This record gives sequence, structure tokens and C-alpha cells, in this order.
Amino acid sequence: MGTGSQTLTGSENKMTLKPMFKFLAKRFIFLLITYIVATTIVFILPRAIPGNPLAQILSNLSRIAQANPEAIRAVEKALMKEFNVDKPIFVQYSNFIVKALSGDLGTSITYYPRKVIDLIVPVIPWTLLLLLPATLVAWILGNTLGAIAAYRRNSWIDKGVLTSSLIVSQIPYYWLGMIFIFLFGVRLGWLPVQGAYSQGTIPSLSWNFFIDAFKHYLMPFASIVISAMGGWAIGMRVMVVYELGSDYALFSEYLGMKDKRIFKYAFRNSLLPQITGLALSLGGVLGGALITEIVFNYPGTGFLLFKSLTTLDYPMIQGIFVILIASIYLANFIVDFLYALIDPRIRLGQGE
Amino acid sequence: MFATMIRPLLKNRKFIIGISIFLLFLMLGVLGPIFYRVDPTEMTWDYEQPPSKSHPLGTDTYGRDILAQLLYGIRASLYIGFLAAIISLIIGTLVGSLSAVKRGIVDDTLMAITNIVLTTPSILIAILIASYLRIRSMEIVAIILGLFQWPWFARAIRAQLMSVMSREYVYLSIMAGYSDLKLVIEDLLPTIATYAFMSFVLFINGGIMGEAGLSLIGLGPTRGISLGLMLQWAVLMEAVRRGLWWWFVPPGIAIVALTASLLVISTTMDEVFNPRLREE
Repeated sequence: MGTGSQTLTGSENKMTLKPMFKFLAKRFIFLLITYIVATTIVFILPRAIPGNPLAQILSNLSRIAQANPEAIRAVEKALMKEFNVDKPIFVQYSNFIVKALSGDLGTSITYYPRKVIDLIVPVIPWTLLLLLPATLVAWILGNTLGAIAAYRRNSWIDKGVLTSSLIVSQIPYYWLGMIFIFLFGVRLGWLPVQGAYSQGTIPSLSWNFFIDAFKHYLMPFASIVISAMGGWAIGMRVMVVYELGSDYALFSEYLGMKDKRIFKYAFRNSLLPQITGLALSLGGVLGGALITEIVFNYPGTGFLLFKSLTTLDYPMIQGIFVILIASIYLANFIVDFLYALIDPRIRLGQGE
Repeated sequence: MFATMIRPLLKNRKFIIGISIFLLFLMLGVLGPIFYRVDPTEMTWDYEQPPSKSHPLGTDTYGRDILAQLLYGIRASLYIGFLAAIISLIIGTLVGSLSAVKRGIVDDTLMAITNIVLTTPSILIAILIASYLRIRSMEIVAIILGLFQWPWFARAIRAQLMSVMSREYVYLSIMAGYSDLKLVIEDLLPTIATYAFMSFVLFINGGIMGEAGLSLIGLGPTRGISLGLMLQWAVLMEAVRRGLWWWFVPPGIAIVALTASLLVISTTMDEVFNPRLREE
């Protein structure tokens, strides 16, 4: 690892933006390729798995359709058309990609004739509102705690933070959620036990609705924050300990620099890998949050996914995945962008 | 060599605590069902009973004994965790060492694949694969989980091997005409053994967590009892909101105890073998 200290001459300053764009363009292309791979998996899976679940649904539908109503026949027709089962696989694939890119994710089986995209869009804000603040708060709190623990290494603070983080980081979000529901919802009766707002109220921009939604928000939010925090604290602690033991830190110490100042440098250098870690953990965090939604009956993407999994509504499942995976890559790219802004080595084109 | 590795570990209090908890739960899973001979699937009329003498951990909605379920669940979750870990370890070692030894285009391709899998939200793909399988045995769940947790390990193995390969004794072996395979087995694998073991421990951890997550979303093993399935049944039957704590608390504690003890084992090993983290 370099020290990140360089002299800024005039000519270098002018060139500042170019390497950064190069880095971002590289990352964008990589993420785009990865996204195409992921959507290809989404496309291939139902067609490659023995017994072809897609064909099964279709044949089931057509069996019922023979005996029966227009409605089912209409579903069958629509699905046949959407999946192009009779066309060669390559045509199916290009159709799928083109449609997915234009936002057409097909028609839901369970909620026929509603479009998948129209069903997914209204639930996304709930997931985002839960996931984004919780993840960021956990990241900030965890890193702060971890850094403090490393700074006061081997003190009781360090031992307390480390031990509790080791345990807390292993508590699944959803199980902590269950415990919270039981303690604060059922036993103490302080907070509502399910949903994102009270049944019977209609989401609006009124003060009352806001308070109601906030009460419902607290427990799922807290369960994600608390169990996600531990992992960041452990990671940050190790990182800062490493940095404090590295040559530049020791050298500064011998020069007689104040501990606090060295710690500041170590902290800043340790943040970079934690930002990469944030990008890499997004998938897992999302997975955990989806399950937390199920436990809380929170009307987000996870709850919708759970419902479509139980009814085997494959167009819906596919649609949810195309959107979730895309949003993870988008978030990844945003993190890359921040990383490029913060890391001088990338900003000045000296990385890799 | 073995003794010099084990001794410092046995002096570490945290390691002792971690390994004791893990062994305790391993015993519960392996031997528990042999000593506590209650059929976990047997339905009785004592449904939703809190813990009592005849049912130490109470019963569920169908009157099945929770303690019996828990013991079988620990066994199954450990089995899935181990299997997933072995799969990840094999893939990771193969990819990492091939990359490091072959270099060039093999390295580029393998690392591209590794990076793609690393960035792919694995739990989502696992959910997707599981959703298309009507019948999922414990082994299939383990394979699905094992297929996605190897990338960071492969990258670390590659980096470590690369640094080892620039050492002199490896040059000597190459000059002596060792084949790639012999080189890997004799010179390189021993240097990554402790790291591989630590990673294996974390892979088991990931497998147990992954199983619980998949099961909760309704995509766990379709037959048998695991810790995740117990939680799923509890959620489906609204055990949490109806206050049946003895149903959903024990499997969660078992999951946390197992995964936390594994994490402690791995981090203390890191502390002991990694001079920079060692406590002075």
C-alpha cells in the first residue's frame, strides 16, 4: 500500500479528472458484463433445470384451460406469447433482454392481467426506505465503534466491543426481528407487531400517518442496524490495528507525532477497504432485509417475492430478480464513484 | 509441526471458549438424537405446550416435541454447513491455485469469473435456483450454497501463492523440474493450510446462515428438519405474535451459538498465527 501522499504540480492538477473517469468507465463495463451474466442466469435457469418448471406451468394451465373459462385460456395465451416457448432459444433470449431493458417484465400469473412491473414499483420504496438508512447507519456506527476499539486496544472498551460484536454480528436480522416483535410488541406492547402502517389507514402525507409508519419502522430498522453493525466493527478494528502497525505509522511515531494524528491517518486508510466491503456486502444485506420483511409482514419487495414464491408466479419472480440485481449493481457503481472521489490514488491515476 | 501449531491455540482463552461451545453443539447434533429418543415428527395432542417435564422445550402446533426437533435440526444444519464448506473449499482452492500457478490467460479468465461471482448477489441467485427446484434434498441446498461463497477465498489463495512463488525455495523446485501438481502439493499447499482451515470454518458458518435464510424464505430442504425449517414453521404458524417463545427462541440460539463460536475460532486463529494482530 502506498502512502497516498503526492506533490500536486499544476499539470497534474489539470489531469485530475481523466484517470477517475477511466476508472469509473472500467467499473461500469465490468458491472454491465456482470449484470448481463446475472440476467442470463435468470433467463437460463427455468429452461435448464430438469423437468422445466416453465413448461410444467404452461402445460398445467393448458390442461385447465381445456375444461374451462376464458380467463385461464387468456393467461395461457399471454404466457405462451411472452415466453415464446415455440421459438428457438436464442430468439427467446434476445427477446427477454430487450424487453427487460425496456422495463417490460411480463404479466403476473397470480394477479393476471396486471403487469409485473406495475406490481413491483409500488413496493420498492418500502424496501429502499428500510434498507438504505439501516445499512448506512450500521456502517457508520460499526466503523466508529471498531476504530475506537482499535485505538484503545486491549482496554475494556476494546474487549467489550470485540466480544459483543462477535456475537451480535452472527445474529440473523430476521431472528433479532422475531425477538423484538416478541419482547416489544407482544410482551410489552410498546410497538406494533407487523406491517408498515396500521391496517385500515391509507398511506398519505399527513402527520398522523407519518407517526404511525415510524412506529412500525422502528423494530425492523433496529434489527437490521444492530445485527449488521457487529461485522463492520470487527472489520474496522482489524484494519486499524493493521494500519497502526504499518511502516508509515511506526515512522510517524518515531518522529514524535501525536497518537491522535497517526490514528487519524490510520482511520482514513482503513475506511477505503470498508467502502469496498460495503459494496460487496450489499447482496447479503439485501437478502437479509428481504427475509426481515417477511418476518414483519412489511409490504416491501421481500414480502412480494415471498408471496410469488409460494404461488410459483415465475414471471413475477424473474421480474423481481432482474430489478433487485440491477439495483445492487447500481448501488455498487455509486459506491465505486464515492471510492474514486475519496481515494487519491484513483483520482490521480496511480492505482492499479 | 502440528504440536507447534496447536499449543499456542490451547493457551488462548477465547479459542478454548469458542471451540468448547462448538464441540458442545456438535455433540448435541451428533449424539443428542441417540440419547433423547423422541421422534421429532410424531404428532401428539399436547399441542403448543410450554416447556414441561414430558417436553423439556415444549411442543409446536402439531404437538411435536421441540427439543427433538432442535437436536435433529442442529445435526442437519451442521451437515449442510460442512458440505457447503467442503464444496466452497475445493472450488476456491482449485481456482486460486490454478490462477497463481498458470498465470497468463488462465489467470485472467479465472479471475474474471471470480470477480463476477463475487459481485453477483449470491443469496439472491441461490434463492432463484432453489425456487425452480420442486424437491430439494439437504445435499442440493448445500451445493447451491457452496457454489457461491468461494470467490474471496480463491482471491486470497491466489495472492498468497503468488507471494510464496517468488521465494527462492520455490524457484529451486521449479528448476529441479517439479510438475505443476507436485509443486502445488509439496511447496505451496502447506503454506496456505492454516488460512484454508480458517476459511473452511467461516464457510461452515456461511452454510449454516445460508440454510437458515433459504429455509425462512420457504426454499430450504423439502424433507427433514433443520434449524432454518424450525424457524420457518414458527413464522408460518405466527408463533412470534402469539407469544410461543419456546418455539422460535431455541433454534435461533443454536444458530447464533454455532456461527458465533465458529467465528471466534477463526478470528482467534488469525490472532495467534498473524504476528501483526497478536496481543503483546
